[in-house]
Amino acid sequence: MNNLDFLIPQSLREVWDLYKRFPGVRFIAGGTDMMVKIKNSEEKPTALISLRSIPGLSGIEIGEQTRIGAMTTIGDLINHPQLGDMFPVLIQAVKRLGGPQIRNVATIGGNLCNCSPCADTALPLLVLEARAVLKRSEGSREVPLDEFFLGPGESCLLPGEMLTDIILNKPAPGVRATFKKKGRVRMDLSIVSTAVLLEMEGSTRKCKKARIAAGSVAPTPLRLKKVEELFENAEISEKTLIEAQKLAESSVSPITDIRSTAEYRRRIVGVYVKRAIQELLDF
Amino acid sequence: MRKEIVFNLNGSPVFATVEAQKRLIDVLRGPLGEKGTKEGCGEGECGACTVIVDGLAVNSCLYPALEIDGKNVTTIEGLLGAGNQLSVIQQAFVDHGGIQCGFCTPGMVMSVKALLDANPQPTEAEIRDALVGNLCRCTGYVQIIESVKAAAQKLREDK
Repeated sequence: MNNLDFLIPQSLREVWDLYKRFPGVRFIAGGTDMMVKIKNSEEKPTALISLRSIPGLSGIEIGEQTRIGAMTTIGDLINHPQLGDMFPVLIQAVKRLGGPQIRNVATIGGNLCNCSPCADTALPLLVLEARAVLKRSEGSREVPLDEFFLGPGESCLLPGEMLTDIILNKPAPGVRATFKKKGRVRMDLSIVSTAVLLEMEGSTRKCKKARIAAGSVAPTPLRLKKVEELFENAEISEKTLIEAQKLAESSVSPITDIRSTAEYRRRIVGVYVKRAIQELLDF
Repeated sequence: MRKEIVFNLNGSPVFATVEAQKRLIDVLRGPLGEKGTKEGCGEGECGACTVIVDGLAVNSCLYPALEIDGKNVTTIEGLLGAGNQLSVIQQAFVDHGGIQCGFCTPGMVMSVKALLDANPQPTEAEIRDALVGNLCRCTGYVQIIESVKAAAQKLREDK
């Protein structure tokens, strides 16, 4: 660790240049996960490239397509005057991320690139069908967030590639969504978390589109597509709710660890999917 | 890699030569000798190391020291008045039993300062929200909440 280089570039061009010059380099965003990993020797980079000083990587532009810079802090998401009106489920979720001291420095891009199965930003963004903009010196590409996570700590980012923006489409009228998180105490990593988005036909029980995501129940935050299909252009009833609960249980592959057991997680994810839908529809 | 940094600490510019892997708390307690800021867990869970950077409460155990260059940092030492007189928040903690063993207190007080600077009249729910990142193993939090309410009221009266 004594030979660590800490590089603070001021532009993306400088980043690409540094990336080529320093093998074994890692990007660092807010640092709230990376600093702990370095301290515990889970990460042993020879150099860190801090992204905090690069203009253009943070900030929020609201529109038909909303752009959130990857280096935008969780606190800035919460404090933004319009973001919560357009995407209430995102704000509901990130308010449960850490405490104020973490939220003031942790970034949305860092939370996603850390690729934890329990990432609090991932679930609302998955149900909102966010797209991730990935850049490297040769150019840029856009991937659905759904395809971004590959495993714990593992994303689809290529060497030298960086997540720069999150893109969200304006939700259709009649879309409602909610986030639920089970933790032991208020400031905790989730034991299980879920996000559910429903697009309903007027004020009926007919569902046009459902997007359902779950965290801490698989190697990555994931969409429960089979459960979604159950509701696609279908009436939501007590019967389909119980079906959805069972299908959610069988769609996940949780593990037993320090926070909970596989059995408990499987049970809770079904209950939470059901409860989230009940809440959204006043069942 | 070592680098010279300059930042504002409690209103005065300070210089330090810092190794790349050091965190803000290492600089405060090491070369600068400011021991008021405590390290509890070193992982961002307990909040004992809370300081204020450019107006925002942060965990100094998670903040890369080299990134503090050019910023404004306030620590518990910066709250004392002339002749080491306790600030309103500190005095309220003493008066209401918000301090017992004292290890969490500097971080707790800094979180409270960040809260009251932004929101002079917080509800109890807002106080609890602001302190969710600060653990105390002695008080059971009731006295801490009372201390914050008392400090908020005193600060409003003093205005």
